[in-house]
Amino acid sequence: MMDDRQSVDSLLPIVYQELRRLAAGYLRRERAGQTLQPTALVHEAYMRLLKDKPDRWQNRAHFCAIAAHSMRQILIERARARDAQKRGGARQRVTLDEGLVAGGNRSIDLLALDEALERLAAFDPEQARLVELRFFGGLTVEETAEAMGISPATVKRHWTVASAWLARELEGSPQT
Amino acid sequence: MTPARWRLINDLFHAVLARDAGDRAAFLEQSAAGDPDLVREVQTLLASHGRAERFLDEPAWGVAADLILDAPPASRAGTNVGPYFIVEEIGRGGMGVVYAADDRRLGRAVALKALAPEFTRDPVRRARLTREARAAAALSHPAIATIFALEEIDGELYIASELVRGRTLREEVRDGPLPAERLVSTLIDICGALVAAHDCGIVHRDLKPENVMRRVDGQIKVLDFGLAQSDSGRNLSALSRLTEAGAAMGTPGYMAPEQLSGAEVDARADIFAFGVLAWELATAEHPFGTDAASLLARMTELMDGGSGRLSRSLPMPALDQIARRCMRGAPVERYPTSAALLADLRALDITGTPVPRVSDRTLWWWQLHQLVAATLIGIMPAAVWAIRPWLRYPYGSALFFVTLTLAIVSVTLRLNLSFTSRVLTHTLVDHRARAYPAIVICETCLATALLGIAAVLFGQHDAVAALLLGVAVVTLASLTLIEPATTRAAGLTRA
Repeated sequence: MMDDRQSVDSLLPIVYQELRRLAAGYLRRERAGQTLQPTALVHEAYMRLLKDKPDRWQNRAHFCAIAAHSMRQILIERARARDAQKRGGARQRVTLDEGLVAGGNRSIDLLALDEALERLAAFDPEQARLVELRFFGGLTVEETAEAMGISPATVKRHWTVASAWLARELEGSPQT
Repeated sequence: MTPARWRLINDLFHAVLARDAGDRAAFLEQSAAGDPDLVREVQTLLASHGRAERFLDEPAWGVAADLILDAPPASRAGTNVGPYFIVEEIGRGGMGVVYAADDRRLGRAVALKALAPEFTRDPVRRARLTREARAAAALSHPAIATIFALEEIDGELYIASELVRGRTLREEVRDGPLPAERLVSTLIDICGALVAAHDCGIVHRDLKPENVMRRVDGQIKVLDFGLAQSDSGRNLSALSRLTEAGAAMGTPGYMAPEQLSGAEVDARADIFAFGVLAWELATAEHPFGTDAASLLARMTELMDGGSGRLSRSLPMPALDQIARRCMRGAPVERYPTSAALLADLRALDITGTPVPRVSDRTLWWWQLHQLVAATLIGIMPAAVWAIRPWLRYPYGSALFFVTLTLAIVSVTLRLNLSFTSRVLTHTLVDHRARAYPAIVICETCLATALLGIAAVLFGQHDAVAALLLGVAVVTLASLTLIEPATTRAAGLTRA
């Protein structure tokens, strides 16, 4: 992926733009009380790019990985910037329980999630990649399976256990 | 945790999950007998799974929508900030909120920009911003909105500058492309501002329609000179440039490839942005397309060293060339300086070349003139052939061949122009300028020949001589009076 540094960098402004568009759309729909059918950003962007530059992004899996990773980077950078802005001590963690119980407030501590994901990658890189594709890239189970070259059933299995592990890490349960 | 251990935990987790809820605890105890750690691991995972089954189900941009969009700061209209009274909010940009304010010390209206904290947190950046604002404040040019002061009030940074009332070019271009004359004069004004700034070593770095205003009285004002920050030397990734500062590091669609990749930029980055701006004002469309994917594709192409292929050309061929040269991917292929660019823009204006907004009705008259003239000239050799016997041998034949040659050249050129005017209108001005001198020479010679023949025949064949005289006079009048007039009317002149 290193030789794609240039491509990744040129992809970022676009990913960022799309991210803003999606986030705005998300808030709009949420306020309007509609149920959300999240668009797979990566999928859409890929289809459009494929039409435009067939030779550049031949490898769909590769593209999805880059785009999902870019989004993760963008979000984490933003979260860090906001964190630094608040300064003056501990960052405001919204615990998962609170978030889930409150219903309306689904805030997840992205920085903690990012760190946990790093830890997961240390002993299971495949699951970490899968979470990146699904959560940051917004891919469906089927799309993730296709991007990773594994079966949807395997994706679901990995997802179940990885998300449980991450949830536990974020709850602050004893770490292992 | 080792990968092997994790695999064990995974397998057990799924095995337990496959059991009925009631059997799980017993099954787990039995399967992991003698490994209390393993039991605890799987138990807690199952508990988390039960509590947070839908955890992470929503994509990140939904969960973190507010993080991406950043809640806007509250407006401060009606309050005092240091010596300024905030009248109203007039805009929000990547760098912060802009207010119309009163400077109570001097009693003058100013635009007060409250810089977003991400610009001022970092001391390096703050120092740089201070330095650049100071440099920009030294700029004095009618087309540059003057910066009055950089103020630090309660730990926050504010930039006070000339308050410009009017419309941004973004608003203007929403109504469609700028008419040719207005377009050229606007571009000349903007480029003049660039020249003045570049002469002082100040690069704008974020030139775009949003940053150029036309004041109510028509004066162009370029805003925010030198305030967009360069990152050279700070070694930030493209990512940080975008996320840390929002749009304030430049705007992707206007950023030159070298700027996008974070390299040191110079005046030529502004020239690139100018090309994009010129294109947009001329067509009301962004040259690289509006959707993210096509923008990306063009930008990647430019970064790969190609020149962004543009799907159409500008209605003004000369301006088309200028804009394309500005938008070259490699800085060395662009105009070397904004002064060189300005010279070309001025040349556009003075000669009016770019304005073959050829009006159809007057062009029709011009085309008619071409056909009538071609017919008249075409008849001439036939007439000379007819009266050849009256002239002494070999002069008659010689004159016939001379007139035939001249007529063929002239008629061919005229028919060719007529064809060009129908098929390749945008090249007509240049084409005509090249062909016309030859036509003038041929037809002047023809008219002279006819006058000579008329003089010889006078006294023997008066009627024919008079006719030839008439044709010669009409030809000359057409060349000197009628043709220039129809050409001007059709907008085909350069001078």
